[in-house]
Amino acid sequence: MSQVLHDIEKKIIGSLQKKSGQTPEQLSESTELSIDQIRRGIEWLRLKELAQVKESSKVEISLGQNGIDAFKTGLPERKLMDLIKDGPKTFDEVRTILSGAGFNAAIANAKKNGWVKIDKNESGSKISVKEKSIETPEEKLISLIGEKSIPEEQIENKLALKFLLQRPDYIIQNTEKSKTVSLTDKASNIDSTISTSGAIDVEANVPMVFAARTHPLKDTIDEIREIFVKLGFSEIQGTLTQSSFWNFDALFTPQDHPARELQDTFYLENIKSEKPATPKQIKQVSASHSENWRYNWQLSESQKMVLRTHTTCVTIKYLAEKKPDEARVFSLGRVFRNEKVSYKHLVEFNQIEGIVVGNNTTLRDLMGIQKEFYKQLGLTKIKFWPTFFPYTEPSLQTMVYNEKLGKWVELFGMGIFRSEVTRPLGITKPVLAWGGGIERIAMLKYDLDDVREFYNNNLNWLRTV
Amino acid sequence: MPVVELNLNRIKKLISGNTTKKKIIDTLPFLGLDIESQNGDQIRIEYSPNRPDYSTDFGIALGLQGLLGIKKGIHKTNIKKYGKFEIKVDPSVSKIRPFVTGIIARNGTIDDETIKQLMNMQEDLHFGIGRKRKKSSIGLHDLDKISFPLNYTTSTREHSFVPLNSESKNTIEQILSETEVGKNYGWVLGDSKKVPIILDAEGKTISFPPIINASVTTVTTKTKNILVEVTSLDKDAAEDMLSVVVAILQMAGFEIIQLTVSGKKNCTPKLNSRIIQYDTKLTEQILGLNLTPSAIVSSLKKCRLGAIQKGNKIQCTIPRYRFDIFGPMDIVEEIALGYGIENIVPKLSPSQTLGEKSFMTKKLELISKTVVGFGFTEVLNSSLTSKKILFDFTNRDSSQIISVMNSKSQEHTILRDSILPGLVENISKNIHESYPQRIFETGTVFSKAKPISEITNLAGVIAYKESNYSEMKAILQSILKIGFKIDIKTKTPKDNVTMFADGRHSDIFVDEELIGTVGEINSDVLDNFKIRTSVVGFEIKLSGLIFD
Repeated sequence: MSQVLHDIEKKIIGSLQKKSGQTPEQLSESTELSIDQIRRGIEWLRLKELAQVKESSKVEISLGQNGIDAFKTGLPERKLMDLIKDGPKTFDEVRTILSGAGFNAAIANAKKNGWVKIDKNESGSKISVKEKSIETPEEKLISLIGEKSIPEEQIENKLALKFLLQRPDYIIQNTEKSKTVSLTDKASNIDSTISTSGAIDVEANVPMVFAARTHPLKDTIDEIREIFVKLGFSEIQGTLTQSSFWNFDALFTPQDHPARELQDTFYLENIKSEKPATPKQIKQVSASHSENWRYNWQLSESQKMVLRTHTTCVTIKYLAEKKPDEARVFSLGRVFRNEKVSYKHLVEFNQIEGIVVGNNTTLRDLMGIQKEFYKQLGLTKIKFWPTFFPYTEPSLQTMVYNEKLGKWVELFGMGIFRSEVTRPLGITKPVLAWGGGIERIAMLKYDLDDVREFYNNNLNWLRTV
Repeated sequence: MPVVELNLNRIKKLISGNTTKKKIIDTLPFLGLDIESQNGDQIRIEYSPNRPDYSTDFGIALGLQGLLGIKKGIHKTNIKKYGKFEIKVDPSVSKIRPFVTGIIARNGTIDDETIKQLMNMQEDLHFGIGRKRKKSSIGLHDLDKISFPLNYTTSTREHSFVPLNSESKNTIEQILSETEVGKNYGWVLGDSKKVPIILDAEGKTISFPPIINASVTTVTTKTKNILVEVTSLDKDAAEDMLSVVVAILQMAGFEIIQLTVSGKKNCTPKLNSRIIQYDTKLTEQILGLNLTPSAIVSSLKKCRLGAIQKGNKIQCTIPRYRFDIFGPMDIVEEIALGYGIENIVPKLSPSQTLGEKSFMTKKLELISKTVVGFGFTEVLNSSLTSKKILFDFTNRDSSQIISVMNSKSQEHTILRDSILPGLVENISKNIHESYPQRIFETGTVFSKAKPISEITNLAGVIAYKESNYSEMKAILQSILKIGFKIDIKTKTPKDNVTMFADGRHSDIFVDEELIGTVGEINSDVLDNFKIRTSVVGFEIKLSGLIFD
C-alpha cells in the first residue's frame, strides 16, 4: 500500500473502523473535525475508493393547517354530525355554522361515508342522520400524527394517508436526504494511527497550472509579418483615424459611392481634418473625380474623419509622399467596418497589405508572391479568380482549398493600382498591391468557426489553445 | 455585394450553344462571379457592383457565351427608328429632376422568371448606379396601355392617380406618407412643392419618378411591348442606366426602337459604342504575357468587346453598357479574363530589397516578451468600445469623448482613450477561471488634437485576493528597467477622482515626465463590474518613451 493519507482521512477511517455506517454529522462528532473537513475527507476517500457513500431519503409526515384544525376540533363531516345529532337541519342552517369550503366537504364526505340522508322539498333541502358515525381511518391518522412529525414508513394505513393527501392542506410531506459513509474492503486494513514521517501522496492529482502567453491572433499576425519580411517587404505604419481624402478620395471612390455611407463606415462625430492633403494633391484628385466620375467634388466631404476601412490608405499616402521608383512595403493593422457583429463579421479586424513598385513587375510576379506566401503558411492548393476592387485593375482574388469545409474559400485580394489613382498623386510607376484580412487565416489555423472568439478574451481559451 | 438568382436550365437555353451545366458552373467564377449557394439547378450568384449588366441571367448568359466561345465579339446595340414614340420635357422639371431618357422594346415574350429577373435588374440599378434612386431611376411600362407623345412634367402634391399595386386613387402626398416606397424614397424629392410626373397624350399619369409607376401600365406575362423610361439628375448617368436595360432586353429577344426625347437640355439617346486604342505593349508590361496581336484580339472578343488589329495597336470597340471601362488598364483586365486567369502562370522573382519590420513593431515584440515573462497573458480588445465600460463603470472623466456616428453595435460607439478599463472588464468576464489572473494589452489610444492624436499604450492588471499596489509597482518597475533600462519614479497624485482606491495609486514619472498611473482599482468600480476579488493595474504610454 503506497498511499499516504491525510490526517483528516486517517481520523475518518479510524472512526469508521470502530463504527461502520455513520452520517457526516456523526463523523464530525466522533472525530472532532469540522463538518467541512469531514465532507472534504469523505470526497478524497471516495475518489481513492476507500470509502463509499450511500444516499438515502426519508419522508416525514406532518399536518398542514387544515389537518391541525381537524386535530383540534374535528373534521368538517364530524362537526356536521354533531350539529344534526339532535334533529334534522336545513342546508341554510348548516351552512351558516360550517362556513366556506368546510360546508361542501362536510356534506360530500358525510354522504360518502353513508352517515346522512338528504330530503328535498319546496322550502329547501333538509339533512338528517342516517346511521351512527364511527371514527374513520382518516380521523385515526390525524390523531396519530397530531402536532408531531413522523416518518412515513410508520404509517400503516396508507389508504387513509392517500385520502388525506387529496384534501387540501391536510398533510405536509417533507423529504430529507441523508448520507451514510462506510469503508470499502480496501480500507478495512489501513493503519489509521497518525504518523509524522513527512511523506506525501506522490500519486495524488495536482491542480492544472497555466503558462502566460501572447495572444494567439497576435502570433498569427507575427507569423504573417515574418513572411512579408522574408519576401523582401518592409513595414510602414499609419494611423487608424484617417481623413476621407486618404481613405476614399485618393483611392478613386466617388463621394456618393454607397461604401462611403454612414451605414458602412464609421465617421467620427464633429471631427474634421482641416488640411487632409497638400493643395496640389487635393486639386489633382478633385480633377480626376470630376473628369472620370462626372460630378462636383467637394473638399468638405474629403475632410470628414473616418476610422480607416482598409490599410490601403496608409500605402497610398506613403506612395504619394515618397514616390519611389522601386519599393516593397507593407502595412498591417486594425481596420473598421460599421457592421453587425456576428460569427463571421467584426467591426474591427486586422488587415495586411503589401505593395510592389517597379518597372518590371507584372501581374504574374504578383501571383508568384501570393503563391509563395501561401506556401509559407502551409497552404498549397490555391487558384486565382477575377474580382473587382474600385482602385485596382486588373483585380484578382486568391482561392484556397479548405480541406475541412471541402470547398474553396476566398483569402487575399490583389491588383494593380488604377492610373486614375496613381497619376493625380504623381506616382508614375506601376503599383501592385495585395492583402486581406488576417482573422480569416487565423480561424483556419486555430480551427475556429466564430471569429468573435479572438476578442472574447476568455482566459480558459487563451490559457489552453 | 449584390446577388442574382439563376436557373441552370434557363441559362443553358439562353446561351443557346453546345455546353453543359458543369461547364457553366466552372466558368462563372472566371467572369468574376462568385457562387454564393447552389440548390439543385437554382444558384445564387454574387456580382460586382461595377457590372450591373450581370444583374439578370440575360446579362450573365451574354458573358458566358463569350468565355465559352459560343458567341464572341461585341453585343451591338441596334436601335431602329419607326413609329411615333416621343417624350416631351416640360421646363418645370429642370430644378427638380432635369433629365429623362428612354427606349421602346417590342415583340418580346415575358414569363414569370423574366419578370423576376427584370425586377432584380431594376432594384440593382436603383441601389447601385442610381444611388438609391437619387441620381437616376427607371420605370418599365406596358407600351400598349400608353398613347404618345408623353409629357415629362411636374405636378402639385395634390395630384392623384392609381399607383402600382393599388386599386384606388392616391394623391402624391398620400403615396409619400402612406406607402412603403414613398416613405423609403420620398427624401429624394426634398420638400419641393412640385414633383416630377410622366403623363401620356390623354393626360393619364403613367409614372411618378423616382417613387412609383401607375397601376395601369404594369408589366405582366401578357405584355408584348415595353416602354422604358429613366429619369435622372445627370444626363450621362441616365444613359448609363438605359444602356444596361437595352443590352438586357435585346438579349431577352426584344426589338429596340428609338424614343425621341425633346426639351430643354434633353436629347434622344444614341447609346453609341466607344473606341479605345490599345497599345499591345501593355499586355507584357502589366500581365507579363507575351501575346500575339491576334491572341489579344481573340481574348477581347471573348469578353464581348469589339477588337481589330491595326499595326501595333488594337482598336477596341466598347459597347455603351460597359461604362466600367475607363481606359487601357481596363482593357488589360479584359485581355486577362479572355485569355483565362487559369492560364496565367505565376512567377516568383527574387526580391531586390531586404525586408524589415518597423522599429515600433520590434519594440512592441520586446515589450510583449518581457511582460509575458512576468506571468501576464496577452488579451486583445477593440479600439471601439462603450461609454459604459470606458467611463461610467470606471468613474472616469468623459468630457473629451470621441464618438462614431450611427454604430450598428451598442458595444462599439466610442474610441478608447485608455486600455485599462477594458482589462478590468476582461477580468469581470473571467470570474469562473482560476486566480491569480494576470493580463496585459498593448494598443492604440485616441485623444482629441488636430484632429486626433493616436499613441500606443501598455496596460496590465493582476486580480486575486492578495493583489496590491506594491506588487504591481514592482513588476512595472522591472519591465522598464530590465527591458529598456528606464527608471521610473512614482508620485502621490494631487486628486483622487479616478478609478483607483484613495491613497492606493500613484502617477508614474520618467525624467519628470508623466507617463502613466498605477494603483489598486477601487471597490465601487469593482462592484460595477461585479468583481469579488482585488484588482491592481497600471497603464503607461509607450509612444515617446520606447519609440516615437
